[in-house]
Amino acid sequence: MADMNRKIQELLSDYAGALRDGCLPIFLQSLTRQEGKELTSSRDFWEAAEVVRVLNGVGFADKAAIADAGLFASRVDANIASRLKKAKSSPRAKHTNGTRSMTKTRKAEKPI
Amino acid sequence: MKGLNAPDVDRRRRAMEPFVRETFGIFIRYLYRYLGNEVECEDVLEDVYADIWENPDRLRDVESERQLLRTVYLYYMRKRLREVYKRMNRHLYLSQNDLTNLTAPELGVLDTMSQSELKQALGRALGRLKARERRAIELWLQGMSVRAIANELKTTVGAVKMLKFRTILKLKEMMSEYCHDQ
Repeated sequence: MADMNRKIQELLSDYAGALRDGCLPIFLQSLTRQEGKELTSSRDFWEAAEVVRVLNGVGFADKAAIADAGLFASRVDANIASRLKKAKSSPRAKHTNGTRSMTKTRKAEKPI
Repeated sequence: MKGLNAPDVDRRRRAMEPFVRETFGIFIRYLYRYLGNEVECEDVLEDVYADIWENPDRLRDVESERQLLRTVYLYYMRKRLREVYKRMNRHLYLSQNDLTNLTAPELGVLDTMSQSELKQALGRALGRLKARERRAIELWLQGMSVRAIANELKTTVGAVKMLKFRTILKLKEMMSEYCHDQ
């Protein structure tokens, strides 16, 4: 039976393509068991992957449709507000089911 | 960075807006290296900023842009990047370690360089390549597929993949040399 597994250079090329097109999960799912092993043992792949990421950042990040910083700041603020609300609404969420650790129960008991 | 380390949460919250405006472009371009997808970059970055607001201690001693990027990547971005594809792991033939190395790697020599430094280093390295190697990378950077590059260079798809792989390893060596010289 013919070996259908991709060679390291093909894997790198597909990884670079997936990264450029923003579909990394598709590349990850396409890997076979043998290809996964090949990646693990190939030092060249990891060296080249670093450059591929750099090329992606240098070559394509500037062309990407990046949101307006002002609009994004309000999105961050909404995230912070939601975290604040969560923190205020459940300050002792850990003990809502009534269970407490033995140490804490002992501490809470008054000495006779 | 003013007010970002204030103990009062509301003051810290007010300090976030100028911080986001100042750093958004740098951070999102940096994240783009690892994800290549604007929507995912924004989702991750939103959580990164909220994490910074919640726990800004790591940024206390930051003095330069390079240091800021390094600190934010190591202590805030990396954790969030790992979470992006973590759930996929059970369906993959890739170990958790390799998945982490692919999506949220340790900082390499090139990762610590700023965008402008990288552009400069890449420009120099491209200039030192053979014409055919340079052409393959340039066409790739123009957004062409491997098949289109093969047509352009009048060769096979397999040969282009091999050429690209070897050229990228060459680039890595040249750019690392440049980085050490700097």
